[in-house]
Amino acid sequence: MKKRYIFIWLLVLALILASGVAVGQKTQNAALAEPVVVSPADKAAVDVFEKQVKGYIELRNKVRENAPKLSKDSTPEQIHAYRTTLENSIRSARSNAKRGEFFQPATADFIRRTLKLEFQGKDRQELREKIFETETQGVVLRVNYPYAQTAEFSEMPATLLTKLPQLPKELRYRFVGRNMLLVDRESDVIIDFMPDALP
Amino acid sequence: MRRTHTRHFIFALLISAILFTPAPAQKLNGHSTTPLNLTLPMKDGSVRFAVIGDTGSGTAQQRDVGDMMIKYHALFPFEFVLMMGDNMYGGEAPQDFEKKFAEPYRALLNDKVKFYATLGNHDQALQVNYENFNMNGKEYYRFKKGNIAFYSLNSNYMDKKQVQWLEDELGRETAAWKVMFFHHPPYSSAKKHGSDGQLREVVEPIFLKYGVDVVLTGHDHVYERMKPQKGIYYFVSGAGGKLRTGDIDRQSGITEKSYDRDLHFMLFEVAGDQMYFQAISRTGDTIDSGVINRR
Repeated sequence: MKKRYIFIWLLVLALILASGVAVGQKTQNAALAEPVVVSPADKAAVDVFEKQVKGYIELRNKVRENAPKLSKDSTPEQIHAYRTTLENSIRSARSNAKRGEFFQPATADFIRRTLKLEFQGKDRQELREKIFETETQGVVLRVNYPYAQTAEFSEMPATLLTKLPQLPKELRYRFVGRNMLLVDRESDVIIDFMPDALP
Repeated sequence: MRRTHTRHFIFALLISAILFTPAPAQKLNGHSTTPLNLTLPMKDGSVRFAVIGDTGSGTAQQRDVGDMMIKYHALFPFEFVLMMGDNMYGGEAPQDFEKKFAEPYRALLNDKVKFYATLGNHDQALQVNYENFNMNGKEYYRFKKGNIAFYSLNSNYMDKKQVQWLEDELGRETAAWKVMFFHHPPYSSAKKHGSDGQLREVVEPIFLKYGVDVVLTGHDHVYERMKPQKGIYYFVSGAGGKLRTGDIDRQSGITEKSYDRDLHFMLFEVAGDQMYFQAISRTGDTIDSGVINRR
């Protein structure tokens, strides 16, 4: 009888420990957690977005060949030449680009809902205010135009980045006021933007 | 008799002049500076480096800090400099690289002092390719000096890939000291920006899990050394080229030492399990110093 009790207690203890470890792993790697489970409709919207992104990268890789090669030990002049050529090449290759090609209605709807959820709570309210304080004067919200070189970049919340569709290294999300932008990382050309994205 | 008196008088005058003449003060843009005063132990075989943050203003004040660093380099020959981001404000044309970086630190560059940069919210992505920033074309990277592993993170854009990279690298890290440097401070008492809570939410569990010792940041244009937070030493060194006078909230409860009256830079020396530090103002005053013992 006593042995059975000991066995049951050990079993309960083992279960508690195992669940603790599992919870620990989940919380430790919150930033690496899978995105919130999305509905089939949201998944389809994200798929369309990712397909657009893939298409952009293919185009970008092609036009990048026009730009001079950039090494990890470049001079300011080489950096300037690379950036200017890349910017001009991207802009001329996408001269007919329009707003909403990437942030199509279903994708935009999914992102807006994600942002709304992310920006709930007092600490997130402070974060929202910080984004609004970013000095983005000079940025012209226009697709296929460069983000002003003199303007500051708003910090993209790490916790949000894990929930948005993942981007390749060539692209970045950015905020300008309540607007969310998709920007080419090296040339700073605005690829698309979503007005009033932040709640 | 009279002659003897005169001799005594002249002698006394000379002695007084020697005794009461202040030590030769250096001049920086009309402001006098204090004589150099190194508090670091200069142990044999130690790793020596400097830290500057939010430097790229291209102003006379930035150059003053650069000049003071050069003077201290003669006393304390540091091998490299960590840059906390905002390496260039307001434009990055070739002449900006010269005015906001190369020119203020020319003598150090000529002495083969290496600069390792991290990106701030004013820095464009292509800085990672700049020859003098030693970023090897990467937004986040690791390098090792002696028994210290340095990790430069891109806190502007802490995406999943970067977090995974950090976990992987720290998971196989063998260096005794683990030092992080990036722009946005997880802890700060400055009123303008302050602690970056959402970044802390993501990186702090990783720092704790892998035993990170020291975190160096900028962004707030002040100097601050936090009381150890969960055993980790956090510094804000964000006034190497810009200053926000009176920005420290003295009631935050997390400050060990702070300074918001002038620009500054820092010196570090690591010898075995001790990390010595000294924070120095633009005019040469020691504003903080101490030692961190590795856990």
